[in-house]
Parts: sequence; structure tokens; C-alpha cells
Amino acid sequence: MNKESKMMRWLNERYNLSLIEHFAEEKKVPHFRGSFWYYFGGVSLFLFIVQVVTGILLLMYYQPGAQTAYESVRFIVMKVQFGWLIRSIHSWSANLMILSVIIHMFSVYFTKAFRKPRELTWYSGFILLALCLTFGFSGYLLPWNTLSYFATKVGTEIVGVVPFVGKPVMEVLRNGSDVTTATLTRFFALHVAVLPALFTVILGVHLLFIQVQGISEPESWKYLPESKKSHIPFFPNFVLRDVLLWLIVLNVLAILAVYFPWELGHKAEPFAPAPIGIKPEWYFLFMFQSLRFFPPKLLGVDGEVLGISLFGLAGFLWFLVPFWDSKTSKGSRNRIVNYVGIGVVLYIIVFTVIGARAK
Amino acid sequence: MKKIIIFLVFLAVIALPNVSNARTQEKKPVDKCLSCHTDIGSDEAASYMSDVHFKAGVTCAGCHGGNASVEDQDAAMNPKKGYIGVPKPSAIPQMCGKCHGLARTTFRNEYHLDDVVDQFMSSVHGRALNQSSDGPTCISCHGIHNIADVSSVKSPAYPTNVPKTCAKCHSNPDYMKKFNPGLPVDQYEKYLTSVHGERNEAGDPKPATCVSCHSNHLIRPVKDPRSPVYPTNIPETCARCHSNKAYMAEYHIPTDQYENYKQSVHGIALLQNSDLSAPACNSCHGNHGAVPPGVSSVASVCGTCHQANADLFDKSVHRAAFAKAKLPGCVVCHSNHLVKPPFDAMIAFDGGGVCGKCHKNMTSDPAAGAIIAIRWTLDSLTRGRKDAEALLSRAEQLGMDVSDAVYSLKDVNQSLVEARVQVHSFAATSVESAAAPGLKIVAGAQKSALAAVDEYYFRRHGLGVATLIITLLAVLLFLKIRQIERRNKG
Repeated sequence: MNKESKMMRWLNERYNLSLIEHFAEEKKVPHFRGSFWYYFGGVSLFLFIVQVVTGILLLMYYQPGAQTAYESVRFIVMKVQFGWLIRSIHSWSANLMILSVIIHMFSVYFTKAFRKPRELTWYSGFILLALCLTFGFSGYLLPWNTLSYFATKVGTEIVGVVPFVGKPVMEVLRNGSDVTTATLTRFFALHVAVLPALFTVILGVHLLFIQVQGISEPESWKYLPESKKSHIPFFPNFVLRDVLLWLIVLNVLAILAVYFPWELGHKAEPFAPAPIGIKPEWYFLFMFQSLRFFPPKLLGVDGEVLGISLFGLAGFLWFLVPFWDSKTSKGSRNRIVNYVGIGVVLYIIVFTVIGARAK
Repeated sequence: MKKIIIFLVFLAVIALPNVSNARTQEKKPVDKCLSCHTDIGSDEAASYMSDVHFKAGVTCAGCHGGNASVEDQDAAMNPKKGYIGVPKPSAIPQMCGKCHGLARTTFRNEYHLDDVVDQFMSSVHGRALNQSSDGPTCISCHGIHNIADVSSVKSPAYPTNVPKTCAKCHSNPDYMKKFNPGLPVDQYEKYLTSVHGERNEAGDPKPATCVSCHSNHLIRPVKDPRSPVYPTNIPETCARCHSNKAYMAEYHIPTDQYENYKQSVHGIALLQNSDLSAPACNSCHGNHGAVPPGVSSVASVCGTCHQANADLFDKSVHRAAFAKAKLPGCVVCHSNHLVKPPFDAMIAFDGGGVCGKCHKNMTSDPAAGAIIAIRWTLDSLTRGRKDAEALLSRAEQLGMDVSDAVYSLKDVNQSLVEARVQVHSFAATSVESAAAPGLKIVAGAQKSALAAVDEYYFRRHGLGVATLIITLLAVLLFLKIRQIERRNKG
């Protein structure tokens, strides 16, 4: 009897691991031409783990506060052994995580995996995306550099435009009427305590739903006989494929961190004029660019208010897609969902490109 | 016809004297005031006979009002007819201005007079008069009743009289306190010690007097940028005479000072960069007591600004050596009016070096060691900084953050400045001590730059190793997956 078996027996005697073993053996994952998209959920999870690990390492040196934040990040980058690598990986993985979550969301949308009985999985996933964006927004301010300071100022100002609740929400976000050191400590608390706790709980719920309900089969398999459906075991096949992709992502992260180290920029000067052509992070760019195209007044309503309201409404409708797409869950094809999805993807790409090229 | 022509010629002959007489009458009207006041023995009336205005036909009524053409006292001195008596001081400029003032009168055109009254009222003197009736007026400088032409030696405004005229007020502390308590009252005293003053006292009207520099009617405060004695205007003011070869010919002194000064480090700082801390002519030569600094006092004069350099020079071996050789201190190496920015290559025996002026033999001169050591230290610092900058630039081009090291190089300049100042001690050890902190920073910056370049390659190599390991793991994993899947199929 080898050492491993001994250990497994020891554990089995105490925790009855056969249940997990059985679950792993029985769990299957649909295997078809488009199953590649399934892996983005796993990639997002991997990047979240990278975020947590690198975030904890950064936390050992980071000091929030207008007088210390920039200096401590600078210390991390310049003095701490491999600090530059940890910070760059944290920043790059944050961006890749958001990209991966967005791809995951659209793959779920286009494969109609949100349909009954997985509505709650979609809703929890949508909340996770919103939390990812909040993570990005709150983390962006933490180095307290010029770009992050003014981007936060502009970003929170946009929140302030939301009718009725905008102003109080903005003041709660800023911890006052302006972006100050109080905002920094508030964002820090959000970024390292509130959001990770919320994210972990909702991620756990999201993963639980997936494990309980299994991975969604493609829409086209609905009337296919079982013999025609192809599956691979979740363990070890799917998990090993996942790990293979994680290794590739890890290498991409390392290449990005070494060849394109995340810049620190200059320390924020609250009394200095905002830099010309200031832009938000790429994932907010399509909204920012759209708002720039809105006229100051439209039908007697403030253009910015109207734009933000429309984005809010669009996001809400996107969130509710399992409700309004009743056809798919009944087994019929709903092309409108596809057209809407393609339209949204094109819109986001086009406006992001325009925004990135705008001076 | 012939009779008519003869009659017309006769008329012309008898008319001509009358026309001539009428002109004389117009120029010199009958002055009944002067007649009576002369008769009663008035000093003023007697003085007025020699006054330039009397000669020009201006009657007493020209200044005092009234009617000078009638003998009756009541009619002549009738206030209702414009008689004012003795004019109030504040009214004097306007009174003089009736002829000398703003309006383009025939009189002003004929005598080519400037708008002197307007100029006077804009000057410091006009302002003083506005503040107090004790303030200066036209008569303070030009006199009263016996006013002479300014080209006449009798005039208080004649060049050799100007200093005394101005000193009447400006050397009177009690009087000056009323208007400008902070203004010194020793200008005249100093002026008498100056080359200008000495020659002026000797009767030479050409050397500068007060008005040569400060202007006459339009005297502005020294702090007014429009004043000819405002720091940035001083060189040009002095150059009006000192760069005029014809004017200066009889004094046998150079006239290239202004041209040289304009090209000097001082001239560029003051005239081009408007740096008011830079010296103008008066900073070295004095203003009211202007004299060329003597050989022994050159270092003291330069030391008023370059204090550290002068202190070091005073304690150096050169102080006594220069005094013995009657060499004018700083000027020996730096020149006087054409002071150029100093450069390290000046410390050399040849090739633009100034040491070689006195130290002729490099091999046998005991000072050679110090000269070479000083130059070596300065070159080490400047070259070291340049090398460090190049290395840091390379590290930055590689994307490495070396901003701390770049920032540290700023302090090298301080060290370099101190080392260059220490050159005036002419002691190699002093220069080396001053340069030591800079050399340390340079060495540190170079080390940081090299470490950053090494770090760059370490990262690249590290990435290469990591990629290799990850790729190997990925390949092994891929093979394992294939093995498992083949086994599943089997």
C-alpha cells in the first residue's frame, strides 16, 4: 500500500471523502465545438485567485492615505524584492479578469445558458461582473497618482448625475463632497474588505449553482438522443484542461508584467488642473465615449442624465434577460436575443475603439 | 503813370521804418511796471534787466498779470484785469507753461522748446510740489528775475552749476525729510569725490552732472523702470557719454566698455534676462562717487556679490602674490567689463587656460601639481555626472524606473558649484573636499543605473526560465490529458 493511499484512507475514515470522489466521477461536462467558451469561467476564477494572492502580498506594504499611498506603491515597485512583478501581475490580472468575465458573460448569453433552470446562476454572475467593475474602479484610485485621482473624480461625478440618488451616492462614495484622502481610505476598505467578502460569498453561490445544476448543455442538444451527446469527465479531464489554460494565462501574465510593467505615473496633485484627454479604464470607455456624444439637452432633459439613465435601463434589461427571453426556455429559437447580443457587442467594441482613439 | 509809380515808391519808403518799429514794439512792449519799479529802486526790477525773458520782450505782467502798458498803478495792478502779484509756488509751473507748456504756442515753436511743464509735473519734483507748497518749482533751478539761458555759465542750470543747484535741496536733510526721508543727502559730497565731480569742479562742463543721468525736467524715481538710472537702463545711460568716441577723445579712456559689458555674463543677465541682481556699471564703480576701482580694491568690489570667492581669494597665496605684482585681483583671470561665464578649462596652462598667464613652465612650476589636481577633480565630477546621466538614460530607455537616482543627481550641481568656488582657494585639497559629496552621488547613481540594467536582463532571463518551465509543464499536462482521454476511449 503506497503513502498516498494511506493518507486517503486516513482522511476517508474521518471525513467520508467517497461522496466527493463519487461526485467527481459522476460529473460530466458537455463536449462540443463551442465548449471552448466554457473555460472562461475557470480562467476568471484563476485570475480571481491571482488577484487575492497578489493583493494580499501588496497589502503587506501598501499604506492608504494621501501622503503615503503613492510613496508606499513606489516603495513596493522600487525597493521590495519582486514588488514590481507582484504589482504588475495584480494590475494586469485585474484587467484580464474583467475581460475574461465579460467574455464568459457573452458566451453564456449566446449559448443561452441563462435559460431555465439557470436564471439564478445568470443573476449571480451578473452581480459578480458588477463587483468586478467596482473592484477595478476602487483599486484604480489606490496608487493615488494623477490619472487615478482625476479618473475617480470624473467617475464619481458621473455617478452624481444619476437622478434622485446620484448626489447622496456620490457623497457616500467620496466620503465627502470631493475626492480626498477620506475617499482613498473608503475605497481601500471597499477594495480589500467589503468587496472581497461579498465577491467570495456570491462566487461561492455561483459555483454551488453550477455544481448542483451541472454545466449547461448547448441549446441544439435539446432534442438530441443521449447517445449522440458527447461528454467528458469533469475530473480529471475538464479540470486538467482548465489547469492547462491557467498555465498559459499565467505565462501571458508574466510576459505582460515583464514587457509592459504597469506604470505608476506621477503623484496626484489635487489642486493641479486635470490632465488633458483624461479617460477612464478601458471597460468604462464605451459608456464614457457615448456620454460625450450626448447633446447637452435632449427633449428638455439633461443629456448626461438621459445617457446615464439609458445605460442604467439597458443594464437592467440585460440583467433580466432570462425573464424577457421566454421563448428559449420553452425550447423555441429566439433570434432576437442573438441580434441584441451582437448589437451590444458591436456597440461596445466600436465605442471603445472610438474612445481609445479620441484625443 | 510815372507819377503814380513815384508816389507808390515814396509811400513804401516812409512806411518801412514804421513796420520795423511795429515789430520791435511787438517784441519789446512798453513795460510801465519795470519803469516805475526801477524808479523806486526795486532789486527785482534791476535784476530783470538781465533776465532772458526781458530780452525776449516778456513784461512783468507776463508772470504777475495786470496791465504793463499803463502808468496808473490801480489800473496796472487791478486784480479784475488779471493781476496776481507774487504767484503761488503751486501755480508757477502753469504760469511758466503759458509759454513753455503744453499748448503749441508761436513762442515754443520759435524756440524749439519741449513740453517741459508737462514733463516737470510728471517728475518726482512735480509730485513733491503737489504734496507741499515747499516743493520745487521752475524757479528752484532756473532762478527768478535774473533767469539766464541754460547755455550761459550764469544759469544755475549750466552744467558746472547743476550739482550745486541740486545740492541746495538734496544736501539739506531737513528739507528732504519733508518729501523722502529715506533718500540719502550725501550725493553732492560723494559727487565731489568722483572723477565726474572733480572735473566739473575744475570748470569742465562735459563730465556727467546730476541731470546727465537723472534727466532734467522729467526726473523719475530710481525704482521706476522708465528712469535712466533704473538698473537695466544704467549701462545705456553711462554709454551715452562713455561710448561716444568723439566726446571722450580728450579724456583718453577706452570707449568699448558698454560693448564688452553687453557680451559679458553680467550684461546678459541684466540686459537680456532682466536679472536685477546682476551688476550694472554703478555696482562696481559707484554711482554719485563714480571712480574706477583701484588695483587693490578689485577683489573687494567683486566680493560684494561673490563673497565666498573673495573670502577664499583673500586667504589664498594669490592675494599677496597679486599685490606684489600689482595685478588687479579677479580681473586677471576673469577680465573686467567682458566677464565671460567661467569654465573648468580655464584651469590650465594652455588652450584657453588662465593659469598659464603667470605660471609659464608646467614641468618646473611648484603650482603645477595643484593646478592639475584641481582640474582633475572638477573634470571627474562633470564627466562622472555625464556618464551617470547616460547610464540612467539607457536604464530608462529599457523601461526601468531609476527616478530616485536621476533625482539624486540634482545634488551634484551643488557640490560642483562649491568645488568651483573652492578653486579660488587655489588649494587642491579644498576642491577635492567640496567635490567629494558630488563624486559619491555620481558613483551611487552609476551603480543604480548599472543595477537597473542588470535587473532588466535578470527579468528577461527570469521570464525566459519561467516560460520554459510553464511550457514544459503545459506540454506534460497536454500529454497527460491525451493519455487519459485515449484511455477513456479505449
